[in-house]
Amino acid sequence: MSATTRSEGSMFTAYRFIPRSSLYVLAGLAVVAAVLAFTVKDKFYLHLLIMMLFYAAASSAWNIVGGFAGQLSLGHAAFFGIGAYTSTLLFIDLGISPWIGMLVGAALATAVSGAIGYPSFRLRGPFFTLVTIAFAEVLRILTLYAHDLTKGSIGISVPFRPAVGNFIFRQLSAYVYVALAFLVVAVLVSLWIENSRLGYYLAALREDEDAAQALGIDTARYKLVAVLVSAFLTALAGTFYAQYIFYIEPFQTFSLDFSVLLAMMAIIGGMGTVWGPVAGAFLVTPLQEILQARLGGGFQGLHLVIYGAVLIVVVILLPQGIVPSLAAWGRRALGRREAVPASPKQGDA
Amino acid sequence: MGAILTQVAVSGILLGGVYALISIGLTLIFGVLRVINFAHGEFLMLAMYASFWLFQLWGIGPYGSMPVVVALLFVVGVIVQFLVIRPILNASASMQIAATVGLSILLQNLALVTMTANYRSVDTPLSKAVLSAGPVLLGVSRLLAFLVALAITGLLFLFLQRTYLGKAIRCTAQDRTAALLMGINIDRVYLVTFAIGSALVGVAGALLTPLYPVFPTVGTYFVLVAFVVVVLGGLGNLTGALLGGFIIGLVEAFSGFYVPELKEAVYFVVFIIVLLIRPTGLFGVVGAEEVGLK
Repeated sequence: MSATTRSEGSMFTAYRFIPRSSLYVLAGLAVVAAVLAFTVKDKFYLHLLIMMLFYAAASSAWNIVGGFAGQLSLGHAAFFGIGAYTSTLLFIDLGISPWIGMLVGAALATAVSGAIGYPSFRLRGPFFTLVTIAFAEVLRILTLYAHDLTKGSIGISVPFRPAVGNFIFRQLSAYVYVALAFLVVAVLVSLWIENSRLGYYLAALREDEDAAQALGIDTARYKLVAVLVSAFLTALAGTFYAQYIFYIEPFQTFSLDFSVLLAMMAIIGGMGTVWGPVAGAFLVTPLQEILQARLGGGFQGLHLVIYGAVLIVVVILLPQGIVPSLAAWGRRALGRREAVPASPKQGDA
Repeated sequence: MGAILTQVAVSGILLGGVYALISIGLTLIFGVLRVINFAHGEFLMLAMYASFWLFQLWGIGPYGSMPVVVALLFVVGVIVQFLVIRPILNASASMQIAATVGLSILLQNLALVTMTANYRSVDTPLSKAVLSAGPVLLGVSRLLAFLVALAITGLLFLFLQRTYLGKAIRCTAQDRTAALLMGINIDRVYLVTFAIGSALVGVAGALLTPLYPVFPTVGTYFVLVAFVVVVLGGLGNLTGALLGGFIIGLVEAFSGFYVPELKEAVYFVVFIIVLLIRPTGLFGVVGAEEVGLK
């Protein structure tokens, strides 16, 4: 980086203030979720709320590298799995609180993501995606192989010992608050990145990597920063999942399907925007949970048929995703109304 | 020990033939359209189900019904090209991946809803027949799959070299703007290429039905191998896919012999190393990973 850029501030320097409106939306969301956690007593709906917040947080984490940096990873299950396994093994084998294990797992996932990301970011488009799939598959196979440590395909059950220190709660509503906290962190980090210099560098390299390089942006470095942050947050989601579901096994925890799901939610909602993954998760999760609960085993997979179709339609008709498309419509609708009184003023001046 | 190793090597090469056959369609499509079809494995699954039901309902063996299955997959290719691939041809790589992943999810779960998750297999007298050449045993179905893979690759090569359409396809792969300027109907070339790529995986499906059970996620396993093979051989490179198939077949057979629990990890690691060191594949042209095909 040139000296002039450095004097203007590091990549983490805010380029502009986070828009107030986004903070109001986040606060509103938090209040609604907290009120729901307090009032809703039905276990199914509480579970649905938890899963919506969980997927929104995880998809937002994916979005930092997949959306902001435009590097379509389908291997995020690797970071998720590292988070889940690290905190669970530390808890069961060594009695270390999952709260601490969560941070250890996140640190480990971050280190792994750096080791994977650094050489992989030379690859573009589908080649990058393929290498991320391969890395997650290798981790899954190694987890199966190291069965002395991980119990292989049998999986690990987390013992039900409710205590705040154990990250295990008797009340479902407690999980709502924790998931909400994760989501707030993920959205705040996203908002901060979006409005920092880093966010602008990422947008530049996402739109045209060669042009960004020509402008002197160290694209490899910023992609690496994006994946480090993304992996850290994804691993946190892994620990949350283990502590909430009480069971992890390699096929599900490291599955390509999970990676695809995170990407799909972000793409449907709007990749590379702060609210896209949140909206995507809020739309997609209820469909999944309700169809699974209502139809049971008989129509296993029906919700995925619908997802697949929705994903194709969104990509073809609304390639920006739902949130940016709605925002554009909204601006156009508002713009028309404002244009009428605005024009005479311009004429006066 | 020598006999066992020969047996492992022979199994590996035969397996490689099957992998090559699945991969050729994928690599052809990428070479010309520059789209990676993540639903390629699901096309294989469709072909295997078609083959299975033709046997189950009308008693037509997988080899006899192959033309029907191939024609069916050709039609599937045409429909998918029209509905899904054509609209995204100029979209970003991320969007292309998202659309074909969406198609993969859709087809896989459509199969799950309509066919259930049960494993189904076809038992014909041929599927269990074994030839012995000295101490080495050869499964007849595997040998057939291997020979057909070679024959189909040869035919495809002739088609691409000798026919007008084949030349138009190669021309489009090299430079689509130039092809357009030469009066080639690119839209039609894309349609035909995608349909041929799908028909090729139809051949693979018919040949695999006697060897492997069919279930909704069968494609996922094979498509991951196909990605490895195709990248190893150089995306868009047909002979590369054939050789890549044999290499991965051998790698899998030997790692299955020495480290059975890690055999999949071994070829994924080979894949990662190849991608990181030489992303153009062993036989690809440098720079092809960014442009598409030489």
